[in-house]
Amino acid sequence: MTWFTDRHLFLLAVLLYGASTAYSVSLWRKGFREDNRINYFLLLAGFCLHITAMGLRGFSLKHCPVNNLFEATMFVGWAIVTAYLIIGLVARLRFLGAFVSPVLFFLGVFALMPALDPPHGPKPEFSGAGVSVQAYGAFGLSAVAGLMYLIQEHNLKFNKLQAMLSLLPPLQRLDVITFRLLRNGFLLLTLGLGIGTVVLEKHGGEYFTDVKVLWSILVWALYLALLIMRVKFSRGGRRFAWGAVIVFAFLLLTFWGSTLLSPIHHQ
Amino acid sequence: MSIVAIGLSHRTAPVTLRERFAFDHARIPATLQVLRDSRIVDEAVILSTCNRVEIYAATSLEPAQAFAELYQFLITTHDYRDPINDEIYRLAEPHSVEHLFKVASGLDSMVLGETEILGQLKQAYDLALKHNHTGGRLNKAFQKAFNVAKHIRTDTNIQRGSISVGSVAVELAEKIFTTLTDRNVLVIGAGDTSEKTARSLLSRGAKSIIVTNRSHDKAVALATELGGRAVRFDDWASEFADIDIAISSTSAPDYVIDRVKLAPLMKLRKNRPLLLIDIAVPRDIEPEVNLMENVYVYNIDDLQAIAADYLKQRQKEIAHCEQIIIEKVRELLARRWPGATAAT
Repeated sequence: MTWFTDRHLFLLAVLLYGASTAYSVSLWRKGFREDNRINYFLLLAGFCLHITAMGLRGFSLKHCPVNNLFEATMFVGWAIVTAYLIIGLVARLRFLGAFVSPVLFFLGVFALMPALDPPHGPKPEFSGAGVSVQAYGAFGLSAVAGLMYLIQEHNLKFNKLQAMLSLLPPLQRLDVITFRLLRNGFLLLTLGLGIGTVVLEKHGGEYFTDVKVLWSILVWALYLALLIMRVKFSRGGRRFAWGAVIVFAFLLLTFWGSTLLSPIHHQ
Repeated sequence: MSIVAIGLSHRTAPVTLRERFAFDHARIPATLQVLRDSRIVDEAVILSTCNRVEIYAATSLEPAQAFAELYQFLITTHDYRDPINDEIYRLAEPHSVEHLFKVASGLDSMVLGETEILGQLKQAYDLALKHNHTGGRLNKAFQKAFNVAKHIRTDTNIQRGSISVGSVAVELAEKIFTTLTDRNVLVIGAGDTSEKTARSLLSRGAKSIIVTNRSHDKAVALATELGGRAVRFDDWASEFADIDIAISSTSAPDYVIDRVKLAPLMKLRKNRPLLLIDIAVPRDIEPEVNLMENVYVYNIDDLQAIAADYLKQRQKEIAHCEQIIIEKVRELLARRWPGATAAT
């Protein structure tokens, strides 16, 4: 079955994420009042196909598949779904799938756009891209936790019964989760950028003039500002949650554009 | 042989009558012995709580005759001579078993869905069992009742949510704070509801209580009772930096906490979340305070509306629970009663 490629497997995974997203709409409407095992298993099934697709791609390339935008986006999605499946082992946190599945579905649809998966050149040297992509996964989860914070906070202020009936975790816990994921993502991104600098310098590349690198530094600076706001000025809560959501939305919307404009990502 | 139930409860009789028919717990085994010796019943369990006095019995007599005898037994045992009408109910199968299941599940309780009655029913049954006043019929019926209660508790929403102001406040606090064990509570105004709310928070592990009141003596008295400390009314704002939850119930005509007063205090608190519970009428807390970041204000109407909504949800579940009970009763009565020999 040579026609059946890793992309087809990934497409099936995205369809399962789409089914989970459709199911999640009903959970959103109900206000997260029940343990949604169905969603967990839909995402687990999607994960199995997803990791198989990544494995096939990785074995065919004989290195970590983060060489083009399709692979990088697939990798971000994998980091998010893996984190969710681990967290979802705790029954009362399983409802988080209702927040994770739309992110996975839209990431998957985006990744499957044909122009994002050009043929590969020779095997690239380890450049820290994988580490940066994991950072984006952590930022994604941080944004999901931030979104949950904003929903619960709004309900606690203006839709009080809904807040009481909801299974969402306490605000303080969501705030801490948002912060920790964002901090860990920031550390990973710092590491990824550091590795990239060293590798490019070794090869005499022009690292700090590349669009993608400049974009990554901008993202890094935005997250640094959020962390300073939080740690130095005690600005946790609503503003921090909005920050996590907005910066990740910016990251999602500009990720592909910066990658396509980057010469060092098309070598 | 069939199961019958006779008794009175909060639904049929006022407390003045219920207390006249209440059984002294220490005397229940002896009373059961007298009842069985009279040959009216073969097996019996007496349930006597503040809200109900009931006898569940397995008898070979026709229900009508058994009811007459049991009614007479109740009247004589309690030496009751005043007129009585419909306060005492009499239930034959299948209604007697249905009633037992409903009682076990909290469906017949004053606070719908409460679980305390299940413990009381288990105690009443264990007491009768221990003194050999139960046999195959009642053993099976009670065991089934306990199973049904568990089933209803886990598979329906009959026990979901808080239906008192104090417990709603605790539930709200648990939606905001990761844990209540490190929380400091400030009680402004030593009223009855604020005391109950503070007690609810303490029972869930709140770390400390500070009480303030215009009459300092009252504050000291309540603080002593709650194991906290009292501060003078003019000084409560100085405690705000460490406070997580404030319960206000003064009779002040104006707002005790408003946005202008709270804004600088929130900076001192480094914007940690603050839960404000306002149970005063007129209100102690300016409503606009709820718009401030990290501040959550609930007034008495909010708390009562949440409690009422929960109650409404529980009431919606009644039909579902009753359906489960009818099926389980049918299941129980349709089976033969193996080992249904009377206790000796």
